[in-house]
Amino acid sequence: MSADSSINLTRGGALLSPGSVEDKKGRHQATLSAILFLSPAFVLLILFRLAPVIQVFFDSFLNSSSEWVGLENYRFLLESDSFLNSIRVTLLFNVLINPIQIVMALGMALLIVDGAKKPGMWQTLNLLPVVVPLAISSLIWGVAFRPDDGIINAILIAVGLPEQRWLTSADQAMMSIIILASWVGVGYWSLFLVAGLHQVPKDVMEAATLDGARYWRTLWYVRLPLMRRPLAFVLVADTAVNLLLFAPVQILTRGGPVDSTNLVMFDIYRNAFVFADLPLAAAETVLLLIVVMAIVGLQFFMLNQRRSGS
Amino acid sequence: MPALPKSFVPTLLIGIVTAIFMTPLMWLVVSAFRPEGDILGHLSPLTWEIIVPARVTTENFTLLIENGFGRAVFNSVFIAFGSVFLGLLINSMAAFALSAIEFPRRGLVFAVVVVTFLIPFEAIGIPLAGTVRQLNLDNSYAALMGPGIANGFAIFMLRQFFLSIPKELFEAARVDGVSLFQIYWRIYVPLSKAPMVGAGIIIFLFQWQAYMWPLLVTNTREYEVAPVALAKLIGQFDFDLGQMLAGAVLLALIPALVILPLQRYFTQSIAGTGVK
Repeated sequence: MSADSSINLTRGGALLSPGSVEDKKGRHQATLSAILFLSPAFVLLILFRLAPVIQVFFDSFLNSSSEWVGLENYRFLLESDSFLNSIRVTLLFNVLINPIQIVMALGMALLIVDGAKKPGMWQTLNLLPVVVPLAISSLIWGVAFRPDDGIINAILIAVGLPEQRWLTSADQAMMSIIILASWVGVGYWSLFLVAGLHQVPKDVMEAATLDGARYWRTLWYVRLPLMRRPLAFVLVADTAVNLLLFAPVQILTRGGPVDSTNLVMFDIYRNAFVFADLPLAAAETVLLLIVVMAIVGLQFFMLNQRRSGS
Repeated sequence: MPALPKSFVPTLLIGIVTAIFMTPLMWLVVSAFRPEGDILGHLSPLTWEIIVPARVTTENFTLLIENGFGRAVFNSVFIAFGSVFLGLLINSMAAFALSAIEFPRRGLVFAVVVVTFLIPFEAIGIPLAGTVRQLNLDNSYAALMGPGIANGFAIFMLRQFFLSIPKELFEAARVDGVSLFQIYWRIYVPLSKAPMVGAGIIIFLFQWQAYMWPLLVTNTREYEVAPVALAKLIGQFDFDLGQMLAGAVLLALIPALVILPLQRYFTQSIAGTGVK
């Protein structure tokens, strides 16, 4: 792609200004224009993305009085029960929520693509939860989960099931947050999978509309393998989002009960603002950044492979 | 018995799924129009009154506005639309430079853009907020809008699209002596409706969903954004559920009105990035 355009541009440059001196001047001018076009976005990207990363990296080697302590913060973190528990909670949360969301999003996408009437309407309606600010969704679900007068327990009672403690129980709080985060995410991720399903060739689609066992076999052996890339994209992007989940924890559980929902993003917030230990929070942020950037980098790598492959 | 149409089962199933997903939103809308005292009274045991209000009132909305929520909504809307406007301009300019102009080290500059969108803003928000406070830039629109304007993913998406615009258009315009800015503004931008809408929605959602960053860089009512104002209602001793739900309706309605009519373009722009 870039070799292609450079040939074109040289030709364009030659048409504009024949002769090597003029040509050099033209190239100089192009560089100057490029800098003008790029600088507003670049200044902001440096201020709000790159500089803070460098800063947090340096801060992680200091103590609260800004003295150099080397890897001390990292050593403290790796020996702290609170941090190790937060890692355990975050991993468990992701191992549960990502497969749940993707299977549900795929199911929703298949229903929308395979024969439901008015596919656009269903897609639009199920996209609504993601446009609601997550802080607001958390508040709504907080009311729904109330053990004594919440609607979810009311439904359980109505169908003859026992009431649950939801957010107030150390055993159920994480599940409650998974339900709320999935309500937000499933419709959004299904959007990407619907786009992917539409890419599967037409003759495969026709076989897929046949009913019964043939449908499931076609789905499993033909269509899902063709969906590998959009599925991988959604898995990686969803994981990156869920590794950083913050608002529901801060608003509803504050990490509890007994640290059962202490996701790492909230743990960082708590170290920074409740315990006022900014360097420790910085070290924790560096570790989180490494994990998330590895995952998102993998996603970008896969997207690029797709492009050069086609 | 006549055979059911083939679309019957999937339509029924997606209808049920959608109804389940819509229930919290329906409850939200209905409850926002209830007198405060009625809201929790109708949750348990389960009756039709969960969805059908016995008494309807707009009192929650008027109380919310009287308590200054209008200011918070204004802040959120101003920040979101301001960021979309500025962001579309500067991100598309950067994308134009990275696709149409040939200059040394272009690949390296593009790699930097890619790295910036690998950095999750949530993770660096806390140390960055510390710097913003040290520089006394907290409690300002600049601090609130700053992180949401330049967006590596938007630049990436727009660049992918710009690369597909035939180079001949660019060359022909150059031969006619048209300036680079005119080529960008008169040719590239008008041809890029779908990716511009897609990038605009990404920027809008980033700001509309923002919660931790505004929490960190503001502590006055003047600059409070709507989600933070609502979340604070729940923390107060005397918390009014009716007002909270009325606020939630407003905060859900505004993006729905903005985004849903544009959803088609969003899907197209996803296709353009090579995701699908």
